[in-house]
Amino acid sequence: MENVVISGMGIISALGCGVEQTLRALREERSGIGPLKYLQTEHWDIPCAEVPFSDEELRERLGLSAEEVVTRTALLGMVALQEAWQTADLRHTPDKRLAFINGTTVGGMEKSEQYYLDFLENDSRNAYIAAHECGACTEKIADFMGGFSYVTTLSTACSSAANAIILGENLIRAGLTDIAVVGGSECITKFHLNGFHTLMILDDAPCRPFDATRAGLNLGEGAAYVVLEKESSARKRGIQPLCRLAGYGNACDAFHQTASSEEGTGAVLAMREALKTSGLQPSDIDYINAHGTGTRNNDASEGRAIMQVFGKHTPRVSSTKAMTGHTTSASGSVEAVIAVLAIRYGFIPANLRFGEAMPELSFTPVPHTLENVKVRNVLSNSFGFGGNNSSLIFSAVDPGA
Amino acid sequence: MGVYIGGVAAVSIQEPLSEEGIFRPVAYSSPQVRCIEPEFRKFLEPMVARRMSKIVKRAIVASSVALEEAGIPMPDAIVSGTGLGCVEDTEKFLDAMVRNGEHCLQPTFFIQSTHNTISSQIAIRLGCHGYNNTHVHRGISFESALQETMLLFGKGSIHSALVGGYDELTPPYFRLLGRIGYWREEVKNSLHIVQEPAAGTFAGEGSVAFALSENAQGAWAQIEGVSISYACPDFTREAGLFLHRLGLNWKDVDVVMTGKNGDLENDRVYRNLSLPAGQTTAVYKPLCGEFFTAPAYGMYAAAVCLKQGMLPASLAEDGKEIKGIRRILLLNHWQEKDYSFILLSSCGD
Repeated sequence: MENVVISGMGIISALGCGVEQTLRALREERSGIGPLKYLQTEHWDIPCAEVPFSDEELRERLGLSAEEVVTRTALLGMVALQEAWQTADLRHTPDKRLAFINGTTVGGMEKSEQYYLDFLENDSRNAYIAAHECGACTEKIADFMGGFSYVTTLSTACSSAANAIILGENLIRAGLTDIAVVGGSECITKFHLNGFHTLMILDDAPCRPFDATRAGLNLGEGAAYVVLEKESSARKRGIQPLCRLAGYGNACDAFHQTASSEEGTGAVLAMREALKTSGLQPSDIDYINAHGTGTRNNDASEGRAIMQVFGKHTPRVSSTKAMTGHTTSASGSVEAVIAVLAIRYGFIPANLRFGEAMPELSFTPVPHTLENVKVRNVLSNSFGFGGNNSSLIFSAVDPGA
Repeated sequence: MGVYIGGVAAVSIQEPLSEEGIFRPVAYSSPQVRCIEPEFRKFLEPMVARRMSKIVKRAIVASSVALEEAGIPMPDAIVSGTGLGCVEDTEKFLDAMVRNGEHCLQPTFFIQSTHNTISSQIAIRLGCHGYNNTHVHRGISFESALQETMLLFGKGSIHSALVGGYDELTPPYFRLLGRIGYWREEVKNSLHIVQEPAAGTFAGEGSVAFALSENAQGAWAQIEGVSISYACPDFTREAGLFLHRLGLNWKDVDVVMTGKNGDLENDRVYRNLSLPAGQTTAVYKPLCGEFFTAPAYGMYAAAVCLKQGMLPASLAEDGKEIKGIRRILLLNHWQEKDYSFILLSSCGD
């Protein structure tokens, strides 16, 4: 079966704008978590990982006027899509069918929560009513670049972007599109900051994934897209593939709406399915970019699941959410970009703030960036509310061919 | 290997879990009509039901009836479409936060606010660990979900699936959409809404679930193809290409069932289609009202027609019943940006 490869990518997160800034921040172990600057909330003291640009700065960067009806989730998506578009050189593809699949859950909630009473009581904010829907947000992003003949939106909470990547691969394999730009976009809203707060899973300090003393997650925001196409298609266009999407698994924990099962049933199934579709053995995996939110429940459940799948020989594991924060619906593609960078540049990103091993786990995460490592296969986990668990495997491609 | 509708169930503004509403639909004279609820206590323990929002309860009932009818205790995949998701719980959390500030909020409504609550609650109830996904793309959310499911069948990774379209519309959200021109102020007779075109339509709701498998025995209909298209420049041509890819052409289609809803702007797109002369057309939105996943109700109506081998007067655009129906093409568009195509055929010979 022909390889489906990644031929371009774009990203924006608390680590900065673009692949270059992201790479530098990862290697320098720079965390984007800090005090809130842009979101107006009573919970100003809860640390988050905001994208370090205001809406106005993002509009300016994109050349959008102040009157343009656009939400922050869409702005972030446009920045990431633009970079993905440029790196994969999609300008010169008039004969290709392009698909855009976006994962988001908050959609336009960031404006809806500001204008909710106006929506109900007067006509002053009507332009933002339609912008509330997830699909409207996706179309806004798609139309910024144009040229897509297939556009859809997935929402499986924190695994949305990972599922967008899986759907993109399936569309290409079925011959329904030539190129699929896939990923997710999500800004921090008061709505889900408060939601996570009521669940008591937000740490009031910078998070410590896979640490015995971990006390919750930090919300992040961002957007990332990868460009998928068949290897022959990329090479014919003169594009050197960055890596290939080797395998994927989607399973449902079917346990609880917000908690993971103790043994990580869904996580085990998703990882095993990803290994099966890739044809790889557990021992072939060089690095696991874990979901690793830093909550008591996730890290214990995911950790046990990793032990169950990989046995005694656990690959190197880290959660980069200690740097990016939890970018929720975008996390699957934010971390896909990180996985690609690990393969391309031969390093294992750090799991910041790790101090004390979890007694129930046989492994500890990689505490500091490891350079000069041969990374050929990376497993990336994304687990969402409702037990929507997805795992992806990215693999190096031979430069020749 | 074909994909067949082995079971289907709908909770809608017509009689719940019954085909009665297709043949003898209830007429309404209000711009917002909410679902006629099934007897939830027949399906859900009272303690469980009390904690669930309407949309989740309806989805669980519709899906369990559809699966039971198809004889599929555990589907290989659960894929849902919902345009707006769990609006009721989202609003409860949002309203409390906006009016009372960011303290003393209850987690329950947040937990159940995410769009994937429906798919995951169905999975939790069934104990189903299979493929699970949720599509949330405006007026083609259901078709997008259905198309992904067909891909999974096509590559052989599943042999059965539960697919559905689920949307609820609360009075506040109805008001919001009214501000941007969705609804008429007055509706005389919902069943005549297409014959009396004006600006806006009337709002419905629905939860329609389909149990799909590769077993043609006793099935309602075969799903021959599904496609979605974004900003396609020529709707007629795109529909023709869709048929062509399935090895068919217009003369193979007995009925074209469109998403007309009486709104002038919306229906103009269908009126501008260049259909073959004398093509029989049908409409379903007068029966179910407009909502983001109304096309799921359309597919339900089409499946009923194919099982019966006839197009009832209630669906026929010219009001005339026709017998000997074997293939129905469903066409839908959302604000002239998102387009969908579904082709169903009868299983009998």
